[in-house]
Amino acid sequence: MRLDQTTHKKSLFQHVVGTLAPSFLIILLIGVWVFASNRNSVLVPSPVTVIQRFIKTFTNPINNQLIWGHIWASLKRVLLALLISCGIGIPFGVLIGWNKTFNAIFGTLFEVLRPIPPIAWMPLIIMLLGIGEVPKVVIVFIGTFTPIVLNTATSIRLVDTLYLDVGRMFNANERQLLFHVALPASLTSIFAGFRTATSGGLMVVMAAEMIGAKAGLGFLIQRGLDAFDIPLIMVGMIVIGLVGSVLAILTDFLERWITHGR
Amino acid sequence: MKAYDTKLKYTFLSIATVIAFLLLWQLLAVTGFTGIIPAPSVVFRTLLDKFSNPNPDGATLLKNIVISLKVSLTGLLLGIGIGVPLGWLMAWYEPVNKLVRPLFEFIRPIPPISWIPLTILWVGIGLGAKAMIIFFGCFVPCLINAYAGVKTTDQTLINVAKTFGASNFTTFRKVAIPSSLPLTFTGMRTALNCAWSTLVAAELLAANAGVGYMITMGRSVGRVDIVIAGMITIGVIGYVFSRLFDKIESIVVKWRTL
Repeated sequence: MRLDQTTHKKSLFQHVVGTLAPSFLIILLIGVWVFASNRNSVLVPSPVTVIQRFIKTFTNPINNQLIWGHIWASLKRVLLALLISCGIGIPFGVLIGWNKTFNAIFGTLFEVLRPIPPIAWMPLIIMLLGIGEVPKVVIVFIGTFTPIVLNTATSIRLVDTLYLDVGRMFNANERQLLFHVALPASLTSIFAGFRTATSGGLMVVMAAEMIGAKAGLGFLIQRGLDAFDIPLIMVGMIVIGLVGSVLAILTDFLERWITHGR
Repeated sequence: MKAYDTKLKYTFLSIATVIAFLLLWQLLAVTGFTGIIPAPSVVFRTLLDKFSNPNPDGATLLKNIVISLKVSLTGLLLGIGIGVPLGWLMAWYEPVNKLVRPLFEFIRPIPPISWIPLTILWVGIGLGAKAMIIFFGCFVPCLINAYAGVKTTDQTLINVAKTFGASNFTTFRKVAIPSSLPLTFTGMRTALNCAWSTLVAAELLAANAGVGYMITMGRSVGRVDIVIAGMITIGVIGYVFSRLFDKIESIVVKWRTL
């Protein structure tokens, strides 16, 4: 009985420590943040100021857009680029993974251009297409296209030869092998590429919007820098973080939903 | 012999494609179809010229490369040096995980590029500032993969080590860490790519030297040949680094299995 009580007490103590420990570093961070903002409230605005600034973005438009408008502006660019990348990238990846001649021609071109990071294309594309909506989607597209093609092609190449041999034994033709054996087997890997593409696309859209845009979260952050509105910079960073997390969760759902059907 | 022949055929096809691509580009540029994009021969000449000519950005190509490399390697090594051990520790010691995870989950989804304005205001546009931005990008994949590597260690191996009387720390050091190496290397590879592309962004937005800055200056004076020469430089260095990394990886991971 007594023993029970002591173990119970100990576990209660451990419980308290266990629940407090995770928040320790966050509390420390906020502590350092508050301390720093007391020293220099212009360069390091306090958490309260940032929260107030955040609330203000819901009622006071920045460049004629509320925060929702800016979130949608960035999301629209990323989603459009993702859609086009999947539409072109998955068939392209399948072709260079499946057909050796196609791989020798177009796979080589892809490999030659691949080491150039998407962001390095930005100046050239701005010079060619200006700073409207199309060049931004094109830049994000370059960023999202690569991981999707890469993952699709690799997974098609790595499909277990046993599966293919079984298919051949049952007299499947090339097309059936591809659509009923290779493609289903590489679905998980294609999704991994999609996930990389999503987070990569968010990063590229930020860069594209910071270079020159009239709306979007990257625009908000750049506006914060230009107008010396540091709370706005932090609001932009927090919102893009939230958007990224939500997108990651949605992608997980989508993956579970699609692969579940298999 | 036949397999060798087909392989030769595809290699030949690859090389022919690249040559055909360059020839087509040259042809289109000479006939004026590509608009402002100059011919590859012009870009090549600019690239050679850039080795001795500091215009329009104030530094020769080699000097720009050295500056860019210094920044990206500083950020990359910091990211690996802090991210990998922290990921290992978080996976093996639950208290470390509990302590660090909330903060990490808070920082993780913020793209490294969006740190640029804050770092400009706080640290300036020197080497330290850009290394910090790159650090934010490299740290995350290193930590996630090192963590996953230790977490996916075969439980049998751990049990064997414990049966032979290994302490918790020895098991961690001699079993968990070596078995995490392949995934850890995957993380470092992602970090390497990330370092390189974040560097370009950082130099496009805030710099006074480096290959990214050279591209920005090329754009602002309307020299497309310099922009493309800069892109090629970045691509080639990125490629060389990734091959170098392949070598290191094969050496380290082979040592593990011996």
